[in-house]
Amino acid sequence: MSSMKILVALLASALIPARAFAALRVVTTTEDLAALARAVGGDLVVVEPIARGYQDPHFVEAKPSYLLKLRRADLFVQVGLELEAGWAPSLLTNARNPRIHPGAPGFLDASEGCDILEKRAGPVDRSLGDVHPLGNPHYWLDPANGLRIARRIAARLSELDGAHAADYAANLKRFETDLAAREKVWDEEAKALRGLRIVTYHNSWPNLAKRFGLEVVDYVELRPGIPASPAHVAALIAHIKKDQLPLILMEPYFDPKLPRKIAGETGIRVVIAPPSVGAEPALKTYFDLFDRILELLTANLPGARP
Amino acid sequence: MIQRAVLTALSLALAVPAVRAQSAPSALQSSNLLNPNVSVIGWFQGEAGGRSRGAGGAEPAAFALREAELGLQSVVDPYAKADFFIAVGGDGGVELEEGYLNWFALPYGLALKTGKFRADFGKFNRTHPPETAFADRPLVHERFLGEEGLSGMGGALSWQVPVPWLFVSVDAQALTSPEAAEVPAFDQARKRDLLYVGRVATYYDLSESVNAGLGASGAWGNAGQDIDPVSGSSATLVSRLGGLDLTLRWKDPRRAVYRSAFWQTEMLWGRRGAPGGSAVGAKGLFTHVEYQFAQRWRAGARYDYTELPADGSVRETGGLAYLTFMPSEFSLISLQGRRARRQDGSRESLAWLKMTFNIGPHGAHPF
Repeated sequence: MSSMKILVALLASALIPARAFAALRVVTTTEDLAALARAVGGDLVVVEPIARGYQDPHFVEAKPSYLLKLRRADLFVQVGLELEAGWAPSLLTNARNPRIHPGAPGFLDASEGCDILEKRAGPVDRSLGDVHPLGNPHYWLDPANGLRIARRIAARLSELDGAHAADYAANLKRFETDLAAREKVWDEEAKALRGLRIVTYHNSWPNLAKRFGLEVVDYVELRPGIPASPAHVAALIAHIKKDQLPLILMEPYFDPKLPRKIAGETGIRVVIAPPSVGAEPALKTYFDLFDRILELLTANLPGARP
Repeated sequence: MIQRAVLTALSLALAVPAVRAQSAPSALQSSNLLNPNVSVIGWFQGEAGGRSRGAGGAEPAAFALREAELGLQSVVDPYAKADFFIAVGGDGGVELEEGYLNWFALPYGLALKTGKFRADFGKFNRTHPPETAFADRPLVHERFLGEEGLSGMGGALSWQVPVPWLFVSVDAQALTSPEAAEVPAFDQARKRDLLYVGRVATYYDLSESVNAGLGASGAWGNAGQDIDPVSGSSATLVSRLGGLDLTLRWKDPRRAVYRSAFWQTEMLWGRRGAPGGSAVGAKGLFTHVEYQFAQRWRAGARYDYTELPADGSVRETGGLAYLTFMPSEFSLISLQGRRARRQDGSRESLAWLKMTFNIGPHGAHPF
């Protein structure tokens, strides 16, 4: 083979998308959606998340390198409810991939059909902070919603790849069975949490609280996305002392300095828990996420050893 | 005239659903859902210090509404998206800053844009003035591309090179040629003159936290006419611009809310035809560094160097420093100071208080 032929072959291999030889390409905005897509897609899909689990999904940058993933994608799955409003729409517009535009079969908003809390019925403005008028977007933190998302992804994969519909159905069935078994374990663990009144840093845990019987009674942030003022901190400290609130639940991407200062003054425990798959290296699956959150919460209950 | 017609059409398009809604309540929801996203950016600015006579232009009032920018954005159909940005200046003048249709669903990695838009010359020129980090514009942009930057009516074809491991974009644009009063580097010789702009840009993630963008731009257009006073014959003068831009960013995704750093440098070279068959070469650059040191605080500095496009032997230099506080994602207050040495050798010291706010749906984070 002449050197020219080798050069042409090398160029062609660099330019031809790998899609021609691979399974369905799924790009998700978060690692939670990626874990669910892998669970129902199995070996038939290649799944790539954009935001990592240790990253605040509100503040992802629309890097051009993400376009490389999106322009070859067969299916795009987003959390929706404007969680990704600052970056996903511009990425989709610039991806040059009509297969994954809203309305196309390759676009899936995972929030549809899920149990969405805090939908705003009345007037909404930014005096409330960076609110999400369509509902709280952290809904994947309820396993029942995880199941709903998995079902929708499986159904969409079957539409896009009808030849393997039976495989996706079998994978979904296995996921449902495994989830039901895990939920029994989680329910047993969460018995100790029922009725617990807690503080969270950001308003991102309502679905988790509802599912496992916790009650979120205050926040470290003044409003969603707005840092605490001195007056708010003073009021929060007074609230914690008065009601003897046991713990502050927060994500690892927020600065723990203020919560720890509040803990120093009140004795409240600060629990830094993963809000997403991938937030810690060991959290590979959707089940790992709830295992870890419940482990951290129960280990920090009043009376438990810190 | 065209701008007035566009504005009239826009106001009619927006007014009609509202009128219908009064008589048909059921239509109200539908029209609201299908209305474009409406947003307004307000830009108020205070200025202190004395402007040099060598700077040119009128001295602004101590406090001024620099601009109120109305944005109307919506998907038109499965194939295209429309973006309109209408700027109202402090003097009450209304201008269509940008208004274009973007066909984003074309095959082969292509996209097509038609309408009025800011040219893809460098990175800074694409940013709307209220949304830049500065109360002013870098001297090289002010001197070569004017107070508002390079924009025009026309068409743009954009292509993403299908290499799976590197982002590379190629853009080619043809725009109506600006007049020298707007963009000093160019001057239309005839109404139908066009300005051609090309850009090749690439982007690479050096690590999860650090990324780099590199771009090369070129612009080619007319620079007025050379009329021979004796024979009366005329020849069109040509002006060419070349630019290089480098952007480096750092942001740890684990602490993205609190810390970030940004460094951008743009260099520009111009060669402009002059009467008698000669040509004037001129160049300039700015380099800008910004550090976010807390969730709501940023500090930055910029160095400016420029020669005048009509006379490469005359130069200006300057430096800007600023401290910006952002109460939320939707507003900012910035205290800025700039020292500059102007073309006549005079020194100029200016201070600004820039305030901007954004109402409407959550827009895209700038990148």
